[in-house]
Amino acid sequence: MKEVNSVSDILNVALPKGRLGDKVYALFERAGYGCPELLEPGRKLIFESAENGVRYFFVKPSDVAIYVERGAADVGVAGKDILLEYTPQVYELLDFGIGKCKMCVCGRPDFRDAPARTLRVATKFTKIARDYYAGLGRQIDMIHLNGSIELAPILGLSDVIVDIVETGATLRENGLAVLSQVCDISARLIANRVSSKFKYEAVTQLTRRLSQVTEVK
Amino acid sequence: MSDARFSSALDGIFTKLREIYTSRGYTRYRVGRFEEYDLYAKNRSFITGSSILTFTDTDGRLMALKPDVTLSVIKNTAPSRGLRKVYYCESVYRAADPSSGFSEIQQAGLECIGSLTLFDVCEVIELAAGSLSALSERYMLDLSHLGLLDGFLEDNGVPAHIRPELLRLAEEKNSHEALALAEKNGVPLYVMDAFNTMIHLRAPLEDAVRRLSSLPLGEMAAEALSELARVAVALRGVEGIYLDLSLRCDGRYYNGIVMRGYIPDVPSPVLSGGRYDGLTKRLHRDAGAMGFAVYLNLLERLVPEPDGTDADILILHDGSDPEGLLRAVRALTADGKRVRTDTAAPEGFRFERLLRYEGGELRE
Repeated sequence: MKEVNSVSDILNVALPKGRLGDKVYALFERAGYGCPELLEPGRKLIFESAENGVRYFFVKPSDVAIYVERGAADVGVAGKDILLEYTPQVYELLDFGIGKCKMCVCGRPDFRDAPARTLRVATKFTKIARDYYAGLGRQIDMIHLNGSIELAPILGLSDVIVDIVETGATLRENGLAVLSQVCDISARLIANRVSSKFKYEAVTQLTRRLSQVTEVK
Repeated sequence: MSDARFSSALDGIFTKLREIYTSRGYTRYRVGRFEEYDLYAKNRSFITGSSILTFTDTDGRLMALKPDVTLSVIKNTAPSRGLRKVYYCESVYRAADPSSGFSEIQQAGLECIGSLTLFDVCEVIELAAGSLSALSERYMLDLSHLGLLDGFLEDNGVPAHIRPELLRLAEEKNSHEALALAEKNGVPLYVMDAFNTMIHLRAPLEDAVRRLSSLPLGEMAAEALSELARVAVALRGVEGIYLDLSLRCDGRYYNGIVMRGYIPDVPSPVLSGGRYDGLTKRLHRDAGAMGFAVYLNLLERLVPEPDGTDADILILHDGSDPEGLLRAVRALTADGKRVRTDTAAPEGFRFERLLRYEGGELRE
């Protein structure tokens, strides 16, 4: 059996592509984990600052948790919606308090739930919706959709939807409203459970420094 | 990686593990591949999140391909004087989650069943550490005591209805949500400060025990800590043992000390176990028990890729002279060469030398 040597002190960080990733990187930079290479134009996928002991890569937001759980990344930043939906076996070390939104049940403003009938629920987040309605003891007919969820109640495909609401503008423009709130969502720092042991000092220091520059502690 | 290479690496590992286990008088336990499904149906949550492969036997009984070894060992252990100390190396069959499909998982481990003393607990922990050291010099074995956090929350009057959620959050080291939940339910801040210290504490066992003793633990937690303190003293000198109270196991089966083992470059625990008196009681055995399993299948990626060839010589032929070709192949293999014959070069096949069999002889 080979004795592995890839456990270096450098931290592999998976960040979500897009606006949230940019915001989160700014926090890492303020915490002393800057990587100038990352701001240079080009097609590189991996950015490293040996000086600050970090290596960044940007992945699809819903994939961050997979990279971390499987150990390709030591730490990462994922939305609470992804953590609730896929329940990866990771540590959740910090709430960044950014990328805030709410997971809500939405539908037509005049919708009244009739408990005698099975509730038709359209969503991308089937586990979150199933857990929520199981907690209420409500039987539902789950309709899994991958996008344009708001269309479902408008076209009569479902009674309600369970989806992320940020400002509520899309809902209002389509004549829909929030009927109830399922949970709060924001960006979280997650860590691989094994990396956190072999890179204990590095992960602990990163968490401490990030918590100092983060609004929510 | 070839199956043969992995299985030979596994054989090597198991030989080392067997030496460790037999050095303490553990005897080999062999199990059949099948067990009545009923055994697992009654203890479904012990086989965490796994699906089970079932089939109907010729006599109509619903059978299962074993998803676990521990349950079978306990079921087949008759009450006797003294302890039953067994080790095993078996395949189990399960699907870790619905999307992954079933797979055969190689598992080695041991079980110690009977009226356990603290010595037996320490010995099992030491054997777990020994198993990990056979896999990597840089192993880590985390211990926890289920009575510590549970007892701490109860001793400090934390409302019973939020305790399971707090323990779940402890497993994630999620102090921000734990704090919010506690605040909403009027749990004093000093309790949550101590709780946070406990779930984030990770230190060598003896050091961790010392640090915990300064916290407002209460009677039940203090009792658990005292057991850990005795274990820490007994295991002084055994490398790589840490305390991590975020480590949790299902309290319906496990009690007391639980453990997980890690080696670098494997992103999930390669060893898991602990004290499981709850399980033996559920199976109507009046005995304590402790054991662990080593997940050998997780080691596959640590076996280096072979850099050599698949054969020394590849002989291409047209199939017209089987007798002559066989003679030529026999001569080469008698000379210690690995020989592959084919009518065309197989895709991806690696060889040292290419020969052609034409007109009754081999040519370059």
